[in-house]
Amino acid sequence: MPLRPRYGDLLLIVLLLLPLVVALPRLGGLGGPPELWLTWVGRVTGILGLAMMLLAAAVSIRLPGTDRWFGGLARLWRLHHWLGFGAFILVMVHALALGLAAVPTSLEAAVATLFPPPAQGAIWLGWLAWLAMVIFLAPTFDFFGQPHYQRWKRLHLVSAAALLLGLWHAFLLAGETALWWLLGIAGLGAIVWRKLVSPRVSRHPYRVEAVEPLARGVVELVLRPEGDGIRYETGQFVYLTPLDERLAAGRGEEHPYTIASAPSDSRLRIGIKDLGDASHALQTVTPGSRVLIEGPYGEFFGRRFPERDMLWLGGGIGITPFVGGARGLASGASAEGHVHLFYLANGPDRAYYQEELERIAEAEAAFAFTQHYSRERGRLDEAFLREHCPDFTEREIYVCGPPAMNAYLQRLLAGQGIPASRIHSEVFDFL
Amino acid sequence: MTIQKIAYSVFVAFMASLFTLVSVNALSSSDPDDAADDDLDPITLEELAEHDGAESCWKAIHGRVYDVTDYVPDHPTEEDVVLEWCGREATEGWDNKRPGVPHSPRAEGLLEAYLIGRLVDEEGEPVEAATEDTDTVAERLSPAEDERLHRAMLGLPLDGRYRGVFIDRGVIQVNITFDLEDGHFTGLAYRHLAYRDDDYLAMEEGDDLYPVLVQYRQILERLEGQPVTAIFALYEPERVVDDVDGYTGATLRGAKVISAIRDALNRGVYAWP
Repeated sequence: MPLRPRYGDLLLIVLLLLPLVVALPRLGGLGGPPELWLTWVGRVTGILGLAMMLLAAAVSIRLPGTDRWFGGLARLWRLHHWLGFGAFILVMVHALALGLAAVPTSLEAAVATLFPPPAQGAIWLGWLAWLAMVIFLAPTFDFFGQPHYQRWKRLHLVSAAALLLGLWHAFLLAGETALWWLLGIAGLGAIVWRKLVSPRVSRHPYRVEAVEPLARGVVELVLRPEGDGIRYETGQFVYLTPLDERLAAGRGEEHPYTIASAPSDSRLRIGIKDLGDASHALQTVTPGSRVLIEGPYGEFFGRRFPERDMLWLGGGIGITPFVGGARGLASGASAEGHVHLFYLANGPDRAYYQEELERIAEAEAAFAFTQHYSRERGRLDEAFLREHCPDFTEREIYVCGPPAMNAYLQRLLAGQGIPASRIHSEVFDFL
Repeated sequence: MTIQKIAYSVFVAFMASLFTLVSVNALSSSDPDDAADDDLDPITLEELAEHDGAESCWKAIHGRVYDVTDYVPDHPTEEDVVLEWCGREATEGWDNKRPGVPHSPRAEGLLEAYLIGRLVDEEGEPVEAATEDTDTVAERLSPAEDERLHRAMLGLPLDGRYRGVFIDRGVIQVNITFDLEDGHFTGLAYRHLAYRDDDYLAMEEGDDLYPVLVQYRQILERLEGQPVTAIFALYEPERVVDDVDGYTGATLRGAKVISAIRDALNRGVYAWP
């Protein structure tokens, strides 16, 4: 997914560079003998690294709606991921550059700069912050293989310690205290909100009204709001926390699922495929039990070319945002131009929602539906697309499916000369 | 290359760099500092004090003397602040770049390039920076347990080294040094002893006035280990000195020694024990 600039990005860049811009006059220029420019590099990377770390925390606040400043939550998580990655790399460059800056003086000075006597606690705070970073980032970056989702999530909380230690380190050694307070409060505030406040105040209670089996390992949960439900647009997703005590796994854990109902529907419908412990357990969730819903997030159907018709390419459980979209059309939502949905499945047994989608296509002139079975016809190719939708290269295209399908379709479409800016997809794994 | 692989590679490279830096340092370093100390030129406080300005700025830091004249213009701090410490014991300034924050190891490395000698007292003994000790003592002791303070408040002489003189008609006759331990004399010695043109300390046995020197020395022997108040016995020197001999008690001016000792006490502690 290309990272196209959004307004929120501008805000992030400003906040990221602010401490550096304020500090630069104090740091002098990048030049002179190695010990001077290495010191400069060490300080600049330190300032940028800490700012990135704090901003990575700040964007994890996950306030419904604010994610759209950044092009949806999935994209925001990618920004979060890159910020964390950048911070991790920069703090190591920071330490090494400052250590090397002392080498021209003497090796001993270099080692003593990095590992001073215990009395100089400020340096050791920096090391502790780095250690905390290694602990919570090692599983994120797969240092030791893919971690278990919930364990990873718990370990990721060590980031709060890393932030505190890093801030303390900066307060003692760097200037611009006011700015660090600002970013520190933003970062730590986001963690406090996400972990302590939001689970209590921003989750909406729903009751499981029905569990409708769609295929083997796929169900649709029909949820009735107990109070005010959430307001959402088609293609958005929510975090769902089941409270059913009879669940074998995942009780009280939140996971992201895409909404498959139309915004006008009084019920919230969520298609769930058995892809892990939690989603497996949800296949047999007890009707009548409660779930908590937080959201909505994302902007899957954000339009960039509203004058163009749309091409929807869905596969596997990735059909759910398009089901929501089709149901929206069926419930009288005004369609902006014509929509053609291709449903990519192995065979008829895996094409859940197919009948409903065909019914909608018969009733709605603005909606066309084509089923594609890879078991019969092989992978979807350009000829099949052109046969059923001759103007597909002119349309604004939305793709949702398993990562392999997504990557294949991106290649296929790019091969037809379709610019990346006209292809939308929200890939979320590990949110 | 995925983001995960980059992160892991940089992490490993970082650890390897740290390990290399630390191990190369451990393998190559022999501590030249302590060994070289005796080879350094001895520099007294007096010599140090002559270099107290921008044209020549020497500083004593942790017992060593540095000629930082050339570095002063390059120092990031205001020149006045840097020059303030020229020509004197500057350890305190060094250890408190900001209050409680010492200069960096890198600065320490830079400083070594300006080393010119080691700080000694008049006897040639190394002088260690006293600041650290006194600071920690001052921090540790409360007014309830600071005995030095108690003695000072009661007007009692503090323990330490004292030096004093008796001068008459513009000429030093007696110059004495002694230590006080628990208010008792130790290490009493004359640094100068003369009358008119006769330098007693230069005399040898057989010289006419040599017995006078012996008598003066007896005074010190008697005072050794005595409380400070014992000096007043010297108003009647015959009580203190056995060998009055051919000279009358009046010849030996015990009062001169009393005077020199009281001068020393008036001046206060010359050096702490």
